[in-house]
Amino acid sequence: MIATLNFIRVPVIGLVLFVLAGLAWNASAGSKEKRQKQDASSASDSYMGLSGEELWSNNCLRCHNIRPPTMYSNAQWDVIVHHMRIRANITGQEQRAIVEFLKSSK
Amino acid sequence: MKKIRHYYLAAVIQSALLAVASPVARAQDATTDGYVTRKEYEELKAQMLAMKKELDAIKKEKGAIPKQESAEGQAIVDMHKEVAPPVVEPEGPMLGTTKFYLAGWAEGMFEARNGSVSTFSASFNPIFLWELSPKLLFESRLEIEPSGSGTNVNLVYAQLTYLLNDYITLGVGEFFSPSNVFVERFEAQWINKLPDRPLAVYHGILPNISVGAEVRGGFPIGPTRANYALYVSNGPTLNTFDPRTAGTLDFSSYTDNNDDKAIGGRVGFLPIPGVEVGYGFETAKPGFQGTTFAHVRSLLQSVDLEVTRDSDLLKGRIDLYAQYAWSKVDHAVYDPDGSLGFGPLSLTGKRDGGYALVAYRPTKIDIDFIRNLEMIFRWDHLSRAPSGLGAPEEERWTLGLDYWLSPSTVVKAAYEWDNPRGERNRNALLLQAAMGF
Repeated sequence: MIATLNFIRVPVIGLVLFVLAGLAWNASAGSKEKRQKQDASSASDSYMGLSGEELWSNNCLRCHNIRPPTMYSNAQWDVIVHHMRIRANITGQEQRAIVEFLKSSK
Repeated sequence: MKKIRHYYLAAVIQSALLAVASPVARAQDATTDGYVTRKEYEELKAQMLAMKKELDAIKKEKGAIPKQESAEGQAIVDMHKEVAPPVVEPEGPMLGTTKFYLAGWAEGMFEARNGSVSTFSASFNPIFLWELSPKLLFESRLEIEPSGSGTNVNLVYAQLTYLLNDYITLGVGEFFSPSNVFVERFEAQWINKLPDRPLAVYHGILPNISVGAEVRGGFPIGPTRANYALYVSNGPTLNTFDPRTAGTLDFSSYTDNNDDKAIGGRVGFLPIPGVEVGYGFETAKPGFQGTTFAHVRSLLQSVDLEVTRDSDLLKGRIDLYAQYAWSKVDHAVYDPDGSLGFGPLSLTGKRDGGYALVAYRPTKIDIDFIRNLEMIFRWDHLSRAPSGLGAPEEERWTLGLDYWLSPSTVVKAAYEWDNPRGERNRNALLLQAAMGF
């Protein structure tokens, strides 16, 4: 059992630490960013300095051609972007910004 | 309508009055010189008043009818309210009833490979998406393809996921193995730029499908972004009965052969938009429980790179995808007593392989025909089977040309130089049409 743990500990512990560090960083930065956003009343579709359109273009084009917003209904975009959020590991904020852009640009 | 009815009634009564009065007048005319007596006048006046009274009564009765009907209708509405409460429009989608979407892709292909008979093939791959609530999604894909004299239907994946928060998603079921970025992102044939898939990462030394549970997500780190996936699954099976495959892993059995569970994952880092580097791994005990292989452990590792850039200089888009994987299975002795006819065979199962692909599409040129073309070059490699008795080392170079009919419909043509070491070449001409929907 000990040998087994030794064998897998490097990649597992490394990944867990990386994820925890990232989430912790994000949690601390998130509250600061939230306050700044509230103060500045920044646009709801802006995230990490990228607009919903840029997030849509950057994330989708990483793997495949982008489909125009008019290709699907609002309800279909809800489901498609939900599906792609999981597949592409994008955040909830990015998901909302992309959906908002797709619905508003028809 | 009611007014018309009243006028009709009044007209009928007035006609009756005239009908009654006229004979009297005519009789008067016949008996007198045109004047009525005081008595006759009083009688006629009395008759007129009586009829007027009767007319008023009738009018009053008719006027009461609509009010009565309205009161009855209100009573019915009230009764409905008591029996069935009013339908409340849902504010969001009701659990399990809404947001179904059918996606997927289909393809038809022709392959002429040296040493094999040329053949057409086809497949239909529907993806079923049910957004049961804004946080809950079920998705599943089937692969339906003709085979022999029948049709094969395979369940490729079936997974239920729950969005815990903006950065964490939980999933359970059968899913594309997150340690293998190729199958998660590029396996669909309308996304994969060449007609066939690369060696090693597809049906090679990394798993395609895992059955288990996973946690995954993405998060920003300052101006950059990272993503992660960690899963536990049934894991692969160690091949022990055939000298050609001894020491390799079989990923096609989705049920487990022991109590140990595979652990795997991948972490990706995006320093700038359009660039991602990743590291994936999976570790497991692939041997059958109760055998001498029960304690043998395997470790799979993979690194990957995805770059997508628009270039004004090149007037188009450049995609660069690369992935390389290593597989290691602990030292073991296969067929130790020679009962299978090839042992004892002692080895540590090591294998590696991967691919690199570069594609260019002139998206910034104004001529439609040229803008829809895409040129692809791929190199892929897989080392020989660990025993030295099975599949030889294989290296391929592939050149392809795609024509995009729409963002998700493509016609592909490719030529592949395939050189297994020590064997004659398996060069191939590949043609394919694929459509995503």
